[in-house]
Amino acid sequence: MRKPISLKNPSLYLIPVCVWLTVLTGSIRGQEEQGQKIDFAKNIQPILRASCYSCHGQDAQEGGLRLDNRARALVGGDNGKAIVPGDVDKGLLLTLIKGADEDLGRMPPEGEGTPLTENQIALIENWIAQGASWPDSADIAIASNHWSFQTLEQPELPPVKQQDWIKTPIDQFVLARLEKKGITPSARASRSTLIRRVYLDLLGLLPSAQEVEEYLNDQRIDAYQQMVDRALKSPHYGERWGRHWLDLARYADSDGYEKDRARPHAWRYRDWVINSLNADMPFDQFTIAQIAGDMLPEASVSDRVASGFHRNTLHNTEGGTDREEDRVKKTVDRTNTFGTVWLGLTVGCAQCHSHKYDPISHREYYQLYSFFNSINEQDVSAPTLAESASYEAQKKQHDQAHEKLVAARVKYEAEQLPAALEKWLEVDANLVYQWRPMDVTAIQGKHAATFKTLEDGSILVEGENVRSDIYTIDGRAQKLTGIRLEVLPDDRLPQKGPGRAENGNFVLTDVKILARKADSEDEFQPLNIGSALADFSQSNWEIAKAINEDLADGWAVSPEIGKRHVAVFQLEEPIALEGGVEFRVILNQQYETGTTHNLGRFRLSHADFDGVLALEGTPAEVLEAIQVETRNEQQTNTLLSYYKQLDEAYQQLVSAEKEHADKAPATPGTKAQSVVELATPREAHIHLRGNFLTKGEKVETKGLDVLPGVATKGDSLTRLDLAHWTVSPDNPLTARVTVNRVWQRYFGRGIVETSDDFGVQGAEPTHPLLLDWLAVDFRDNGWSLKKLHRIILNSSVYQQASAHRKELAETDPENELLARQYRSRVEAEIIRDLALDASGLFVETVGGPSVRPPQPAEYSALTYANSAKWQTSEGDNRYRRGMYTFFQRTSPYPMLMTFDAPDSNVCIAKRSRSNTPLQALTIWNDVVFTECAQNLGRRIVTEVEASGKVENDIQRRIYHAFLTCLARRPTRHEMTIVSKFYQTQLEQLSKDDQGAKEVLGESPMPEAASLAETASWVAVARALLNTDEFITKE
Amino acid sequence: MNVNNELKQQSRRDFFTSSASGLGGVALASLLQGDGVLRGDEANPLTPKFGHFAPKAKRCVFVFLAGAPSHVDLYDPKPVLQERHGQGLPKELTDKVRFAFIKKESAILMGSDRKFRPYGECGTEFCDLLPNIGSCADDIALVRSMHTDAFNHHPAQLMMTTGVPRFGRPSMGSWLTYGLGCETNDLPAYVVLSAGRGSSGGVSNWTSGFLPSTYEGVVFRGDGEPVLNLNNPKGYTRNMQQDSLGLINSLNRVRLEKQQDTEIASRINSYELAFRMQKAAPELIDVTSESQETLDLYGVDRKEPANSNFRGGGANVYGQFSRNCLLARRLLERGVRFVTLMHASWDHHSNLSAEISYNAGMLDQPVAGLLKDLKRRGMLDDTLVICAGEFGRTPLGENRGGNKQNTGRDHHPYAYSLWMAGGGIKGGQVIGKTDDIGWAPVEDAVHVNDFHATTLKLFGFDHHRLVHEFKGLNVRLTDQGGKVVEKLIG
Repeated sequence: MRKPISLKNPSLYLIPVCVWLTVLTGSIRGQEEQGQKIDFAKNIQPILRASCYSCHGQDAQEGGLRLDNRARALVGGDNGKAIVPGDVDKGLLLTLIKGADEDLGRMPPEGEGTPLTENQIALIENWIAQGASWPDSADIAIASNHWSFQTLEQPELPPVKQQDWIKTPIDQFVLARLEKKGITPSARASRSTLIRRVYLDLLGLLPSAQEVEEYLNDQRIDAYQQMVDRALKSPHYGERWGRHWLDLARYADSDGYEKDRARPHAWRYRDWVINSLNADMPFDQFTIAQIAGDMLPEASVSDRVASGFHRNTLHNTEGGTDREEDRVKKTVDRTNTFGTVWLGLTVGCAQCHSHKYDPISHREYYQLYSFFNSINEQDVSAPTLAESASYEAQKKQHDQAHEKLVAARVKYEAEQLPAALEKWLEVDANLVYQWRPMDVTAIQGKHAATFKTLEDGSILVEGENVRSDIYTIDGRAQKLTGIRLEVLPDDRLPQKGPGRAENGNFVLTDVKILARKADSEDEFQPLNIGSALADFSQSNWEIAKAINEDLADGWAVSPEIGKRHVAVFQLEEPIALEGGVEFRVILNQQYETGTTHNLGRFRLSHADFDGVLALEGTPAEVLEAIQVETRNEQQTNTLLSYYKQLDEAYQQLVSAEKEHADKAPATPGTKAQSVVELATPREAHIHLRGNFLTKGEKVETKGLDVLPGVATKGDSLTRLDLAHWTVSPDNPLTARVTVNRVWQRYFGRGIVETSDDFGVQGAEPTHPLLLDWLAVDFRDNGWSLKKLHRIILNSSVYQQASAHRKELAETDPENELLARQYRSRVEAEIIRDLALDASGLFVETVGGPSVRPPQPAEYSALTYANSAKWQTSEGDNRYRRGMYTFFQRTSPYPMLMTFDAPDSNVCIAKRSRSNTPLQALTIWNDVVFTECAQNLGRRIVTEVEASGKVENDIQRRIYHAFLTCLARRPTRHEMTIVSKFYQTQLEQLSKDDQGAKEVLGESPMPEAASLAETASWVAVARALLNTDEFITKE
Repeated sequence: MNVNNELKQQSRRDFFTSSASGLGGVALASLLQGDGVLRGDEANPLTPKFGHFAPKAKRCVFVFLAGAPSHVDLYDPKPVLQERHGQGLPKELTDKVRFAFIKKESAILMGSDRKFRPYGECGTEFCDLLPNIGSCADDIALVRSMHTDAFNHHPAQLMMTTGVPRFGRPSMGSWLTYGLGCETNDLPAYVVLSAGRGSSGGVSNWTSGFLPSTYEGVVFRGDGEPVLNLNNPKGYTRNMQQDSLGLINSLNRVRLEKQQDTEIASRINSYELAFRMQKAAPELIDVTSESQETLDLYGVDRKEPANSNFRGGGANVYGQFSRNCLLARRLLERGVRFVTLMHASWDHHSNLSAEISYNAGMLDQPVAGLLKDLKRRGMLDDTLVICAGEFGRTPLGENRGGNKQNTGRDHHPYAYSLWMAGGGIKGGQVIGKTDDIGWAPVEDAVHVNDFHATTLKLFGFDHHRLVHEFKGLNVRLTDQGGKVVEKLIG
């Protein structure tokens, strides 16, 4: 196992061994004729080969420059173009070989070889001046003879002697190698081992005692295949293999970094993975949907959810985070994850410099990066299928009921409304009025504000804007019942007003209306304002506060800034004086805590109507329609629609309709993390040394040179093109990498041991032909993972016993030849699942939001202090599979981490597997496992009926416990030691009622046994859960 | 006694057979008699053993500052670098070095904000952020001429911990416990205590690689309870727990017999150790028996500086790290062979001055406290204390995170500093020298493998002969290289 040089940038990197040989060949020497056409192959290439290729050729591309391939030579290096045909003043090559720039130095480097001769430099200069002609015949293709980059072809099956061992072609490849070494494969594992192995591998769950019995007694010749097929149909298959995929997808339920906020919708992607695997979605579709589901024509909700693959990156919301830096980090992670998951390449190594080992240049890295550079993040509504179905049903019911209400209203409108209107016209039509624009006779402010009357009669306040201005406006009327204040937007005001404060707001702290007899010198007398109303008030700044006595509050309109608003102030008593009324409106804006919250533009009107004043008076067209002798159709309609607002019966129908509409079923709130592609792609540049601020050359969007090119049907390459290319037959990697990872899950190690590195530094395949055979079979048979599982599970190789063989310890210590199966402790989540399953607590539910099972109390306290509150789930959600445990990146569930679950920060193709005393303490003492033991103990008692013969009952219960936990019958020796253990516990617990109660815990007492007996069975159960065998796939 | 042949023979196969007949059975038997220590029992893979010659060190604390602290700011004063602050690289260097990516016009030397002064009788210079460590100068051998092969964190960390910049090899602590066993049966031979966030190398920094997992580092939690689930569930007496252990391991031994897999033997070990830890760990973790003076020496009750803002990789890193240092002493006292103290937030590409001040503040008092405490207890003589990162940092400035000017330093594998004390180290000296700006060693260059060779020698091993046969090769900690730095040894 090895890992690539990590992704972070190197530093000043010394060019290590730049051996610059300067070989002068006779053919070059002396060729100085200026006008003669220079032959690249004959005159230039030998110089480059001798002096440059060792650092700028196939084996190394220092500074990202490659001089052996025409296209790459012309593109240049990380620092820019090397050769500009026809222009000797541009391009770094000449500058460098001449040593013309003191800062840049001279190539080849001093001490590493003799500088080029004047002759050679002149030759290169002339060649460039002549257009740098580089014939195809002299071009060296970018290629690699590394095995994994070679085209994928199905190999022949090798001949073998022991034909009866061959169940699937896999066996033939493995056996051929074993026979060559003179090794016989291991015998077939027992049926008990096989059913447990298949269940653990495919489902991560135990076969039930009944399933084990049935299988052990199944006499059919294809009993094994039948058992495999049954397991493959289980919905738990999607969970088991989905969790493997989530390791690659670096799935978590929180953002990571300091804030580490929860991701409430992350699970929706997890559900997609589980469902897709259960449906055996072909792996090519599975791939395309995740790389670019959002870009598919008419992308479905499901496709968009799939593209949430890209949302599993870390996300930094810490204060002071540079957003662009975070975006670049995510894009880098997306690029690297793509490389690991589908190409099995450590492309990330080229993030800071050209890859040290693989033929991937620094530039190519950013070309690949460019595919992911135009992703924008977006959460989409993504109801689950069940939610959608339930919603549709409810909506249908609701719609039907609603239609009836609509029909009733329409009917009333057609049949009764016109008559009601006529009646209204006869009786109440005089209840119409208009707001009359105020004829302003005088206006002034407290300070130096100036007032400009606009054409529409409104007033724009200009000039000095001093805190707490008071506007006083005078006007005249015959009779006055109320005042209307319209505050109006205006482009000249901040945020378009209507206030003069920076945010466009105002605060009207108090309104007063005064009056005196027209044309008199009397004092203005204050009038009582009875009520006030407004179309909108800011929260806590209601209109009523403009007419109370308190000057500290008032009426304001944020956030509805830049819009017209209306307030009406109705007098308690109308005032009408002979000769007219002169009235005064005082708009007080004494908002002391604010700065300049004065009105910017407003209009005042007044009314003489005795009824209740509304914000708007009767519209002019309605007044006209009432007053005309004969109404035309349009006028009738105008009246009808006006009258509708006043007709009580009609309004009741309308409210009934509205009330019902409000009760419409809510669209499911479930969302999913998804991505969208920017309409205009972002430009991608090389980031020198991986630093996003140090931008190098702009790069195009392009695949890796060493692999077949990515094609597009459009104008330029997109992420969707990359997705299609990934699963195209041209790409030799995806199928190989994928089948290898599947193989690794079954045999502990991949055919290529470095399942995350198929590059030059990765391990060679142990069975290269087998790998290719599997890859071609997978690709050409519909990319079906279930078919792949079946072919592996049905092989003899898979069905071998897993016992280590002493005679192979020297020759094949790592079991590379597969002369036995591989036994291994199961993964963290599965350990939890097995314990729950054995105990009967296991909850079958597949999918859904993450849950928070109990964790050690001292740990909960800790996470709480770190503000990620762990609210332990109740009911069924305590007993869900390990994969549903809420994964908080900065404080992950300790049991999972103790058993080597990945931290989910980066893509992981292979987990480490430790074996520590802390693991022992977890299964022994952790609260979850304690509860499991309690329930398993009780199960052992209740599921085996007491016969009355004590000794016999004990044996039958031990038998049942073994079958439940280990899918096998106990040996006589095991029966003896477990039975003895049971007796010892019983002896102790019989004397300790309290202890027995505690051991049994909350678990209800079964009738079939005493308290001490049941508690002793709990102790037996606990020991069984702690055996190596229980947590091991044999 | 020559452990070499013995070790060579002790392949995985031998391991499990010996465990099957020995460790499982005997350990349990002795346990049943009380707390009998298995000293001298050859069947136990962790039975104390001796190396090729008399050891000077018996146990080790490895303070691993992952992320790589800046040598020119902590340990290696460079007046010339100060003088040339803001200038380009000096001529004598530009003649020699080429850059792959940095353009020479933008390569600007950055002086240190730190002041250095000599400490102790030896006069070794440390920076002003390390007054407490400085006060131990006479016990410290400071190596200023370290260099390594890898310039990225993860490979370089593996280089420091396993001797090669790749996955799969056993870590130094694993090699030592493999070679020497352990002086305690009640605690893991090899314990890792981590403060703040994890390192990029993570578990691969304390892995047992291809050695059985019995030799891998056991991680105690840095925050809250160091070991979770130490208590039996309610109702289970220690007797019952012992019965439980008996049954579990009897069943496991049956399985081991049948499957012949060393992992089962390791599991048996793990359960026995877990059982003993249940008794030993609470006492270990409970520091109330320590005097207030001792607690203060380590700064256990220190408060995090204001605005720490997760600088050290989490909340309350000061407290965690101090407690870890104290726990390290308690672990060593109880016979643990190797303790790694991890802190992983030294990757100062930007904002170096503030960040390294914060980190050094975390480091200085507790580590110096550990040295002093070990010394006064007479333990320093045979306890090797190592304090190191995985590489150094450039004398050139670097800017990240949108700063307008250089505020940090980049990775620098060509030169860095580390220090060692106790365990046979000759204190009060400086080994090696770098050039005027701290770019590369000019005297007594020490490669990582030389450091490993020296460490192994202190523990009584010829690094050429502490080997494990793996895939037909004799693999060793020092890979293909390594020569003992005799000057370091007193």
